Amino acid sequence: MIQIPPGAFARPGTSLEFKTGTWRVERPVHHRRAAPCHSACPAGEDAQAYLAKVELGDMRGAWETLVSANPLPAITGRVCHHPCESACNRAHYDESITIHGVERFLGDEALRQGWSYPVPIPSADAPRMAVVGSGPAGLAAAYHLLRGGCRVTLIEAMPAAGGTVRTAIPHYRLPPEILEQELDHLLALPGIDFRPRTRLGRDVSLEELRADHEALFLGPGRRKGREWSADFAVPGNLRTGLQLLEAWVAGGALPEQPRSVAIVGGGNTAVDLARVLRREGVEHVHLISHQRVPAPDVPADDAMRATYREVSQALEEGVTIHEHRGVRRLILRGERVVGMELVHMKKLVDANGRLRRVAFEGTETVLHVDQVIPAIGQDVDGLGFESLVRRGYMEVEPWWGSVKGESGIFSGGDARSDHGTVSEAVGDGRRAAIAMLRYRGGKTLEPGAPPEPIPYSDLNLSYFEPAPASKEPVLPPEQRLGLEEIEGGLQANAVRHEAHRCLSCGDCLACDNCWTLCPDQSVLKTREVAADGSHYVFDYDYCKGCGICAHECPTGYIRMVPE
Amino acid sequence: MALALEGSQALARTVALCRPQVVAAYPITPQTHIVEGIAKLVADGKLACEMVSVESEHSAASVALGAAVAGSRAYTASASQGILLMAEVLYDIAGLRIPLVMTCANRALSGPLNIWNDQQDSMSMRDSGWIQLYCATNQEAVDTTVQAFRIAERCELPVMVCVDGFTLTHTLEPLELPTAEQVDGFLPTYSFRHGLDPSDPRSLGTLVGPEHFTEVRHAHHQALMQAQAEIEQADADWAAVVGRHCGGLLEVRGDPDARLGILTLGSVLGTLEDAMDADPELPRARFIKLRSYRPFPAEALRKACEGLDHLIVLERALSPGSGGIVGPEVLTALVEMAEPPRVHNYAAGLGGRDLALDLYAKLTQAVLGAERPREFAIIDADLEMLPESDR
Amino acid sequence: MNEQPLHHLDTLRARQPRFRGLESGHRACQGCGEALAARLTTEAAGPDVIVANATGCLEVFTTPWPQSAWRLPWIHSVFGNVAAVAAGMEAALKQQGRATQVLAFAGDGGTFDIGFQALSGMMERGHDVLFVCFDNEAYMNTGVQRSGSTPHAAMTTTSPPGELRMGKRHMKKDILSIIAAHHIPYAATASVAYPSDLRKKVRRAMDTEGASFLQIHSPCPLGWGHDGAKTIEVARLAVQTGLFPIIEMERGELIGTLPIREPRPVSDYLKLQNRFRHLFASDYRARKELEHLQAIANRNIERFELRGVGPESYDTEGADTVHRGGDRWA
Repeated sequence: MIQIPPGAFARPGTSLEFKTGTWRVERPVHHRRAAPCHSACPAGEDAQAYLAKVELGDMRGAWETLVSANPLPAITGRVCHHPCESACNRAHYDESITIHGVERFLGDEALRQGWSYPVPIPSADAPRMAVVGSGPAGLAAAYHLLRGGCRVTLIEAMPAAGGTVRTAIPHYRLPPEILEQELDHLLALPGIDFRPRTRLGRDVSLEELRADHEALFLGPGRRKGREWSADFAVPGNLRTGLQLLEAWVAGGALPEQPRSVAIVGGGNTAVDLARVLRREGVEHVHLISHQRVPAPDVPADDAMRATYREVSQALEEGVTIHEHRGVRRLILRGERVVGMELVHMKKLVDANGRLRRVAFEGTETVLHVDQVIPAIGQDVDGLGFESLVRRGYMEVEPWWGSVKGESGIFSGGDARSDHGTVSEAVGDGRRAAIAMLRYRGGKTLEPGAPPEPIPYSDLNLSYFEPAPASKEPVLPPEQRLGLEEIEGGLQANAVRHEAHRCLSCGDCLACDNCWTLCPDQSVLKTREVAADGSHYVFDYDYCKGCGICAHECPTGYIRMVPE
Repeated sequence: MALALEGSQALARTVALCRPQVVAAYPITPQTHIVEGIAKLVADGKLACEMVSVESEHSAASVALGAAVAGSRAYTASASQGILLMAEVLYDIAGLRIPLVMTCANRALSGPLNIWNDQQDSMSMRDSGWIQLYCATNQEAVDTTVQAFRIAERCELPVMVCVDGFTLTHTLEPLELPTAEQVDGFLPTYSFRHGLDPSDPRSLGTLVGPEHFTEVRHAHHQALMQAQAEIEQADADWAAVVGRHCGGLLEVRGDPDARLGILTLGSVLGTLEDAMDADPELPRARFIKLRSYRPFPAEALRKACEGLDHLIVLERALSPGSGGIVGPEVLTALVEMAEPPRVHNYAAGLGGRDLALDLYAKLTQAVLGAERPREFAIIDADLEMLPESDR
Repeated sequence: MNEQPLHHLDTLRARQPRFRGLESGHRACQGCGEALAARLTTEAAGPDVIVANATGCLEVFTTPWPQSAWRLPWIHSVFGNVAAVAAGMEAALKQQGRATQVLAFAGDGGTFDIGFQALSGMMERGHDVLFVCFDNEAYMNTGVQRSGSTPHAAMTTTSPPGELRMGKRHMKKDILSIIAAHHIPYAATASVAYPSDLRKKVRRAMDTEGASFLQIHSPCPLGWGHDGAKTIEVARLAVQTGLFPIIEMERGELIGTLPIREPRPVSDYLKLQNRFRHLFASDYRARKELEHLQAIANRNIERFELRGVGPESYDTEGADTVHRGGDRWA
């Protein structure tokens, strides 16, 4: 029986006997949600996660987090069109985080410091996997297979690895020494058996590869130029954009010196070539595109399939872009082009709900040029696996990349009809590697999708201050003459500034808000990291479920769920 | 060594001898001389004490409360309206069982305004849960004040020492002050078991619901009842030190064989004793000096009343619409006796009305005379002054 | 839900890197601003204190006998005497030569109204006491009656809107100016929405010798009529609209403010609360009172220069920002 002392005083902290948790109708739970940068990254990088480590000063840890998705950050940090930044929630607040600058810094830092990839050394009897093509898709597939404990045979038709990254990206965007260093760094990993100058269908057959390996990834890229004509006319000196670009990247020169050129196409190859032609002294470079210059307000299906940054730099460098235009016919003098007739075009939804390109009568104009270069894309060269190629592409399950109608064969990268960037290729290789490991383990593959991103409205922005984004130095157009890299990258302090600006969307910031603002002392702080990845534990014995912690969580990491 | 001192000055010096660490008070006649005296002792460096001159009696009681729970011997003094303004705090002090001592320089309550002596103020705090000790002389006030601190601290109850305003506080009487050694030997250093200290951080003044409040009240009542022994012990122990006693719970004086008894609280006793002594023709009376009104010493009272035919309860306060305040309580206590005296209840001396020697004759006549006494009367009221309807 | 006890909660609770002056298990309503304010205040004050607490919700919900949520020596006496009780404790500790600090806690009733006289006396006498007013702008414990702190036009049970009235007729008492007129060494306002600022002010007040005063704006979900989850948001909007300026005064002189980066219209604050619902009716009286409150906010912003000039005028010194790793900066 409880005894009442004089004056009925009470002992300290005895309220703990009273469990106010029984009042609760909703409970707070920690719920990690994907940051938009993560959802938007074709390679699958979680920028939020590595920015968090950068902010804590753990650069190596940040790089390790980064390369847990993408082994080529020094490359992608330069060439990727960074949809992460377009998706970044901070864009609604002031400016996006300069994620590509951080990615590039970490990639470069790893090369400078010689950090080793966090990959185990495979055992002698590790399962063997084959990867065909050492472009970004093949390299990513090989790397993630290594991470999964496999040995990888990586065959490449060319003398060196890299695929399109090596052959078709101008040095002013990707300095060759960076390319070489990062590829060497990756290919030096034990467990990769890299075989250059080995072509499927010539040096080894599909059946041989399948016999010696448990699964197969095909990353052949697209190397077969499409036939191009305008009104059945083909100029005599016709070369494709990719051919010219590869020739320039390999040798730094062009076979001809026209005064004016029209490039037909709106992809990265077209844009890169346009810029190369300007550097080579071509006075008038025209780009003819069915679509528009990409911009935030332009719908994706009406935008040129080229990076906004590259397009805007091309415009700065004097390239003329003709939007919503198609080539009606060529004006030839003999076999030589002297001009072309253009017509206004647009994609409209037809009666069946499909987009159809429509040319508008009476809008024809004539453009006088010395040369026409089609850069309308290539098809897969299916030597050795002809039966797998449909209409010029590999037809694959969209998430895991398993080739339709085949078992144990996966594909990705440019070989897909819907992918055409380095980052997409890295993502394809990564997911295919996971799929190959699951295939080997006899597990079924559920359809996958990028994680649902946390919307801006789910953050509490009251806890941040406006801070301008760090901008990397960019060479002014008049100085962009040679091969010198245009963008200068971010310095370490700018990288940390960006990490500090990161809103940590959907992830615990360890900011102590929940711990500080709980009126009921029911959020307990852990010394390190709690089991759920946060730094806090809810004490449901006392939590009354008021919801302050969830409402005030700056990152949307806490949500209330019914009891 | 006898000193001729004004009551207030004697009390100030006595309180100082008890070494209070915090004294808080607000000016009100006729209490002021006590705290003025203490303030001077503090100012002169003769008493190490925080003298807090507050902005109201409510705060005076509160400061004393705070000081006592924070581990210091605390003292305050007030009267009249000041007591009423303190009222909720006085109840709280008692209910929280906080030991502190206050002097009530008894005075009438408004309205109309009257600043002179009666005991309506302390009577209004009868049920506050304080110990109330009434003093017949300034010497008793001095000795009772010293005892009060020991009683308070041993019983964990506050003690109100009731001293008639002006008639005692402003009167010069020869009296003996104890020495510092005597007081220090009698009164240990202040300690309060359930005071507040960061090393044992308890919560005082909790919310006590219906399921426990009854027991808290019962314990408070028991504490007061049990304090009777401590009051007697303190008086006896103090008598052993100074050779004077104040009568413990009550004191029987006058003619022990008289069949008429008169019960009084405070200084009126002296007047009645003088009157009886002055005129041998008057009936003899046994005087019962009720010193401890709270706790109410029913058992001691019955013993004191043995052999009486009549008992007059004379009060300097009343409960309008009922009559006396102490009288009915006495009556209730005496019901237990085999042959209880008849109890007569009068009030007199309200608002400082002078109680002359003829009061004694008036009282005895009222009881023993041919005229049937009214149940309760303000015996010195001159009804001629009132319209007929108010008589 | 992951229910695995990977952390033993009792152990974890005992190891929290802050002083738990106000423990769990108290019976405040969900989202109580006052409970939070008291928790923040006591953890900043630390264990070497004695607290006197006026009557009110805080007293009731923390100490239903035999339980107490306090881990510091604490007393509740009556409604109007907390400053005097604290003064007595301070006098005692001073006389004993002890460094233990004294805090007085009261609601707005115990500060602005019934406790004001004792507070004024305590400050006038210069007791080394920190008086903390948990200002929730009405008598919440007794059922939401208006107090001297209730803002103009707010609905309470004794200032209901009706045919002849639009809520409280009178202004919120400018208590800080009255306090400042006592020329005490330190007086400030704070808000539960800015906990690091609040804790800093508690520490500063405790380091100050003499009487100090802190008025903490503490929303009451029940009395104000808002979702308990929005307690902080409501408190923040009170500051960001200019209706509750966060300021500091020394000896009666303004020495600091929490600047407002982008003042919000008062309606953003008012519309979250039922007590101002009648101001959103479509009639002239409602529009007039809404504009009246906006004018009061504007006047506060001007008076305290909450939108200062100069490059650092919006520097909140981190009061409204979070950082990875949390309280290392607090």
